[in-house]
Amino acid sequence: MTAVLYRLVYMSRNDITDEIDTQIDGILKTSRENNRLAEVTGALMFNTGCFAQVLEGPHNAIQATFERIQCDERHSDVTVLLFEPSNKRSFSSWAMAYVGAQESALERFGNLGDESGFEFTALDGDDIYNVLLDNLHDAEAQ
Amino acid sequence: MIDSVPQLEALATGIAIINGDNVIVHANTAFARRLNVDALPYRLTDIDLPEARSRDLLEWQLRDIGESALTVAIAPGRSLTFYIGAQREGQRLIIAASGWPHRDESTRDLAAQLDPLTGFGNRLMYAERLREFEAMGTKAAAVLIIDLDHFKQVNDTLGHGTGDELLGLVAQRIRASTRGNDTLIRLGGDEFVVLIPEEKHCEGLEALAGRLVNLLGRPFLVNGHQINIGASIGVATLVGDSDQLQDLLRHADLALYEAKHRGRAGHYVFQSPLEQRAFDRREFEVDLRRALGLRQFTLHYQPQTSIADRRVTGFEALIRWEHPTRGRVSPLDFIPLAEEIGEIAAIGRWVIRCACEEAMAWQDERLSVAVNVSPAQFADDTIVDAVRDALDHSGLAPARLELEITEGLFLEESESIMRRLWAIKELGVAVAIDDFGTGYASLGYLNSFPFSKIKIDKSFIQAEPSPRAKALISGILAMGSNLGMATTAEGIETLEQYTQLEHDGCSLAQGYYIARPMPAGQIADFLERFCPPTARAS
Repeated sequence: MTAVLYRLVYMSRNDITDEIDTQIDGILKTSRENNRLAEVTGALMFNTGCFAQVLEGPHNAIQATFERIQCDERHSDVTVLLFEPSNKRSFSSWAMAYVGAQESALERFGNLGDESGFEFTALDGDDIYNVLLDNLHDAEAQ
Repeated sequence: MIDSVPQLEALATGIAIINGDNVIVHANTAFARRLNVDALPYRLTDIDLPEARSRDLLEWQLRDIGESALTVAIAPGRSLTFYIGAQREGQRLIIAASGWPHRDESTRDLAAQLDPLTGFGNRLMYAERLREFEAMGTKAAAVLIIDLDHFKQVNDTLGHGTGDELLGLVAQRIRASTRGNDTLIRLGGDEFVVLIPEEKHCEGLEALAGRLVNLLGRPFLVNGHQINIGASIGVATLVGDSDQLQDLLRHADLALYEAKHRGRAGHYVFQSPLEQRAFDRREFEVDLRRALGLRQFTLHYQPQTSIADRRVTGFEALIRWEHPTRGRVSPLDFIPLAEEIGEIAAIGRWVIRCACEEAMAWQDERLSVAVNVSPAQFADDTIVDAVRDALDHSGLAPARLELEITEGLFLEESESIMRRLWAIKELGVAVAIDDFGTGYASLGYLNSFPFSKIKIDKSFIQAEPSPRAKALISGILAMGSNLGMATTAEGIETLEQYTQLEHDGCSLAQGYYIARPMPAGQIADFLERFCPPTARAS
């Protein structure tokens, strides 16, 4: 029996205040390793205000990943927007992208999506992603 | 990965070295083969054991830095014994051998002390740890008791299976936030305990409690459901006294109760009754210091009537403190504190000023207003300024204002006090003696100042009527009239008391029988409807 695929979408407040470059690099690196082992794919979107993450994979792998992320002090106010079985993966790997308009961050993280293989097309045609993007733009710190 | 020491390689017995984090740093082939360890570094507690319980046991056993042994099942019908060496310079030797089944009391005891659901210890382990602490004479320790909010709803709506899994995740989060030498206990149900075997500053404990509350308040994902619960935490510490070890859990429990009482999803640190009193007093003090600024004081007015003329002559202003959470606080409780912390001057100044302003609104310009003044207000000249400012500011005729002081002011003879009294007198303000007969002061002071009134304490008025009590009252009344001072009977509650005082020649009456204190807004109405007591009775 193949494990049922689940999809989790959540948002949280970005509590990183300094050395954001290094921290983001670290998150990208460890997430990639962990998620590869756990058969978890998905995407992390962030800006200076918040994180939004989509995780796809077997239930227990999602649960374990989520628990690990929950214990991370770099974010707070975690809100789950969606957690349900899903019939296909929207993301074939694990990637992250900066989604924001702030100039300074755009300079630093603008290319992150390309580097990490972020598939913006995966976000097309699904209401939850539109909501997510709207929320991200709203939460961007001024 | 394999050690190059040939002698060790030849052994059928598994031998490994682990570091302080229980990570295998060296292992011989026999060890790697028996435990399916394919690459180093590898955490010893991550080895594949068929029973989750075995891993818990191993983990607990490794927490103890002394030497021990543990036998676990590695496959149906096959067991393996770990001999765990004592920790030396951060490392320890592990020998894994089969065919030497180890039956150790301590392991059996340990198994009985574990909670199968979470891998935490149970009540037995808590008791055992306390025994160890006592034996070691531990003088510093702390307990956090964590209680989940809304857990019952999870069990009721999603079933016990989901509830149990949730408890497992809760345990994981608690484990992730605590340290290796903390003892983690599941007391039962949805109650967990973190027993910290060392002194930790209160801030550190509060930070930990706050972090746990935050962490456990974040959503959980269980069996396809998103579950939101919360946690309340009670904290208790033991500092410098191992006698109280047994009280730790009870104290933490009391603190937990308080945390829940203050609204869930929070923590509270237990304070001993002594500390609690100091804490309460401090809070009371802060509230009192804010009361003026927050306009929480008001004045109520109790009528004073002339017995002979059967009319209202004035009102005594009585301070009321209405606090949003404490409710109405009695002046008997806050005035002594105000005197102690020096707030009395500001409060007293406000009372005089407010009373003068409100008295200006009264239709009848003959009505006097009496204000209580604490002896503490006579400590410096500001009392004279306060009276002068209140009169200037309000425009009240000085003769309408009367200060009520108590005999306590004259316990010590003081020139400066007399000077201040005379200064007030010179402003045209009357000064009355309040609570007469209760202050243990020498009567000589009556001769030193022309008091306007003697207010006989209510304890004389309300005493059981006896010939001696009557004699006392008529003695005071006679003394007043001989000294040319009016007499006021306070605390009149019955018609009998009133008629007796009328008969004895008392000048003024005050008390519930005439009227209770009332807000300023009711005075006009009261005056309109006023009907003298004797007329009422007849």
